Amino acid sequence: MRYPKRIGRLSVPGRKVQLATAAMLVATTVAACGGQDDGAKASAPKAPATIPELTKDPLTLSFIWFDWPPAHALEDFANAEYTKQRSNVTIKVNTVPNANWHDAMFTQFAAHKTDFDIPILDSQHIGEAVTNGNILDITDFVKQNIDVKAYNPYLLAAYGQYPQAETGKRDENASLYGLPLLGDTWTMIYRKDLIGDKPPQTWDEMISVAAKCQADNPGVSGLAFHQANGSDAAAVTYNTVNGVYGGNLWDSKTRKIDGVMNDAAGQEAMDVLVNKMKPLTAKGSGNWFIDEVNAAVAQGKACIAFNWIAASGGLLDPKQSTLGTTREQILDKLGFATLPSQKTNLVPLGGMGMHVSAYSPAANQAEALNFMKWFEQADIQKKWAAAGGVPARTDALESPEFLNAGPFNKVYADSVTRMRDMWNVPEYARLVDIENTNVNAALNGAKPPKDALDDIAKEQQGVLDSGNRKGGGGL
Amino acid sequence: MAVSVDEAVSTGPVRDRTPAARRFGGRGRSVLEIALLTVLAVVMLFPVLWMIETSIKENRDVYAIPAKFFDFTVTLDHFKDVFVASGGGRSTLSVAFLNSVVVAGVSTVLATVLGVPAAWAYSRFSVKAKKDQLFFILSTRFMPPVVVVIPIFLMYRQVGLIDTKLGLILIYAAFNVPFTIWMMKGFVDEVPAEYEDAAMLDGYTRLQAFWKFTLPLLVPGIAATAVFALIFSWNEFVFAIFLTSSDTVRTAPPAIAGLIGGTTVDWGLVAAASVVFALPVLVFAYLVRKHLIAGVTLGAVRR
Amino acid sequence: MSGPVPLTTDHPGQVASATPPAPGRSRRLSDRWLAVAFISPALLLLLAMSVFPLLWALYLSFTDYSATRGGSAHFVWFENYTAILTSAQVHLRALTTLIYVVGAVALQTVLGFAIAYLISRRTHGRGLLTTLFLVPMMLSQVVVGLFWKFMLDAQFGVINSMLGSLGLGQVEWLTRQQTALISLIVVDTWQWTPFIMLIALAGLTAVPKYLYEAASIDRASEWFRFRTITLPLVWPLLLIAVLFRAIEAFRLFDLVYILTSGGPGVSTETLSFHVYKVAFLGFNTGTASAYGILMVLIVIVLTQLYLRYLNKLKED
Repeated sequence: MRYPKRIGRLSVPGRKVQLATAAMLVATTVAACGGQDDGAKASAPKAPATIPELTKDPLTLSFIWFDWPPAHALEDFANAEYTKQRSNVTIKVNTVPNANWHDAMFTQFAAHKTDFDIPILDSQHIGEAVTNGNILDITDFVKQNIDVKAYNPYLLAAYGQYPQAETGKRDENASLYGLPLLGDTWTMIYRKDLIGDKPPQTWDEMISVAAKCQADNPGVSGLAFHQANGSDAAAVTYNTVNGVYGGNLWDSKTRKIDGVMNDAAGQEAMDVLVNKMKPLTAKGSGNWFIDEVNAAVAQGKACIAFNWIAASGGLLDPKQSTLGTTREQILDKLGFATLPSQKTNLVPLGGMGMHVSAYSPAANQAEALNFMKWFEQADIQKKWAAAGGVPARTDALESPEFLNAGPFNKVYADSVTRMRDMWNVPEYARLVDIENTNVNAALNGAKPPKDALDDIAKEQQGVLDSGNRKGGGGL
Repeated sequence: MAVSVDEAVSTGPVRDRTPAARRFGGRGRSVLEIALLTVLAVVMLFPVLWMIETSIKENRDVYAIPAKFFDFTVTLDHFKDVFVASGGGRSTLSVAFLNSVVVAGVSTVLATVLGVPAAWAYSRFSVKAKKDQLFFILSTRFMPPVVVVIPIFLMYRQVGLIDTKLGLILIYAAFNVPFTIWMMKGFVDEVPAEYEDAAMLDGYTRLQAFWKFTLPLLVPGIAATAVFALIFSWNEFVFAIFLTSSDTVRTAPPAIAGLIGGTTVDWGLVAAASVVFALPVLVFAYLVRKHLIAGVTLGAVRR
Repeated sequence: MSGPVPLTTDHPGQVASATPPAPGRSRRLSDRWLAVAFISPALLLLLAMSVFPLLWALYLSFTDYSATRGGSAHFVWFENYTAILTSAQVHLRALTTLIYVVGAVALQTVLGFAIAYLISRRTHGRGLLTTLFLVPMMLSQVVVGLFWKFMLDAQFGVINSMLGSLGLGQVEWLTRQQTALISLIVVDTWQWTPFIMLIALAGLTAVPKYLYEAASIDRASEWFRFRTITLPLVWPLLLIAVLFRAIEAFRLFDLVYILTSGGPGVSTETLSFHVYKVAFLGFNTGTASAYGILMVLIVIVLTQLYLRYLNKLKED
């Protein structure tokens, strides 16, 4: 006989209430201890102004970044160059999936134990890390060791300053928490063989050129850009169009988003994005991010595409491309240009800075500071440029080493003065999720564009204003 | 005995060649049924075949439109990439595979060592409130991992288990112990207690009787149970992605998930890694095919 | 159950503190000691890794604690719970989860049973067929999710490529509101239909032959035999299978994380996925704990009701 004989006959246990009460008391005690521990560190600890004596023992200096070519370039570059000066040091760049990047860093910060010494934070993450006391205040260190005049002040501010400098100017008195590691912005990638050598100059022109190209070339879509609801993909896309059409993300002084982001300019930007740009993209591109846009370009399926410069290197690799069998053949077809302008010429600021984990051992923190000082020297910045990185020092940006290293590097150099970033407030992760999901919904027809924009403004405002709310935070 | 696939599908005492088949149009209906089964089998297996095919295709064939089913160049490069880093040396994926072996292996051993004696005790002794205890044990397995991971995370950071293999091993063991107890209790129940009673009459203690007489009979059951625990730990993703982050600790599932979301997606590599990752599980599942039903229902359904 | 002595091990705390008696001659004492020694390590692990964290979460659920912001936890009592239960965002996720659970479990039950029925009617190759059908179930959700993402890609995915060859248009599987949820259901069904099939098959092949023989003597119609003999015997097993699947589907996370990450918009965000966002994006640990506790409660209560129904069914 093989029919079911033993189906568990189960019932709710009644006696566990006492046990539960007892254990809860224990839990309360432990949690309370944890709370005290947390309370001790309210703001970012300070790094020494001068680099402490470095160890002579073998030391591994660890970074954390997401998995993309610059991460591997950095590891190779640092191991080749930095070890010339510090032979006892090994550089390790831990990489995590992009979608997991913020979580991986901040769960470790929350644990007060990090397996990295130098977190590579996105520029917008700074507020959260500073407020929680996760990274060192390096203001004094920078004063003593870094030639701040060598930088475009905004770059220095974007990757290190908190509170933020969204005006585009650096506040000399504000504290610094990081130094630039990799500069980045969007580049427009266009098919020279399909739309001609001259890139469109205005956003409207870009849209009409893309529409014509799509009509003339069956199987090729007019546009390709980031639309995914993960990371900051769709949010950056909207912010870019918002900037170009003269909108603002918020009024930082009054902390107002509702009524600012969804003003007439914001609405126009959303309308352009959803009703003019989206129809020119490939079917099913509503979850595209960096890699899908690259794939579309490499497969010859897009007339005009937008992508981060630091992520564009793979486009020139003949092994991954159907556009040509050599780099030169590919470059005959692909052009790289700065973004078109419309009411303004703003472009999105990308890239990341280096920071020092507050939870690293002292020896590693000292080494990290030494690395940062080394990295920001003029000749090292040029070597970093030659190795495929994007430097931040003005002299390195203007150097032939950088400008000749890739066809998109000039685009970056020309874009530096045009950059705008998002808010870097501690609530960043929630703000960007609200924007991402709503823009993504609008792009994919799950929400009318106007509603999506109003929802973003309303919900983001709710997050900024939720400081004193009791319970239910984060929903 | 727990029901086995072989048994369930044996050609033994079956009720085929039923008169009904003949009455209802006999051969025609049989052909229809076979056709339907074939279609279903193809649909179910196609993704697996496609995965294997993608893993041996060159990248430009992977993206080909229309899809290439037969006419493509075979390459084993993706499998090489799974194990060897582009610059030579071990790839991070292969390190992740090794981590998976360690984590799944040790957690399984731990769950077995803790679970088997408990199962024996639950089976042999009339423990008070046994049903409540057993239900409680089972219910810990029903909790959504995303929910469990929050307090576990807080607990681990107090004791420094974040981003350690030991942390993963402990949580996997805790998830596998309920399963082991439930599954093994069924196996112990099938070994007559009289064996032990007889041994004790011969002067053995209860413990010796368990060790010398019952345990050897349980070995096949233990092996099957351990394999299921192994499969769970091997495939687990949620705890792995939230509790670990460094290459030296990360197990294979988050490492494979991390292959997408960079600047380019190498679907050939994803497919090859998936094949390499799935192969041990399929082999193990085949080995324990006799106990599959008990295995997938935490022992709730046996006969 | 040969242990003659009722043991007082209903209270794990007691288990831990029970002093083992000297290993005397007394078989009763020795049994008792053995039971405690054998059961308590397992229970201790569960207490430490399951019960304690859950109680901690319970405590945190009454506070506004944040894992990163630091500072001590302040009691907000039931504020988190009321906020969650009245949140339109949560209601939306609950609806999504409900549709997903019902859709996926219903679909895989029907399909799984159908396949099992068809297999049970074959004489040859049953072992091979069953083994082949079981492959999807053994794969990691990560592998399943990644691979279906690849196959469902609107541009170069093999599914749309095949639809194209049939002259049908491209379908946006993962980026439209309805199709995205349907895709999730389809992928889950692909993976877990074998589970239902396996269990249904066990029931089907266990139907004693003589029952059918008796029925065929009575010249009962095939439908009648299916309804009166096969189904009643398979039904309890099927219900157990459905329970397991429903619990698993309710806590779905991996597939959403990989396949759609909740999109488009939030239309495929399940409750589990929402908990993750609350817990790890804003680090609103208190709220997330309350959210999680509510999910656990739902599982426990629904499981109990279901099991009670099942036991009643068995007694009838």
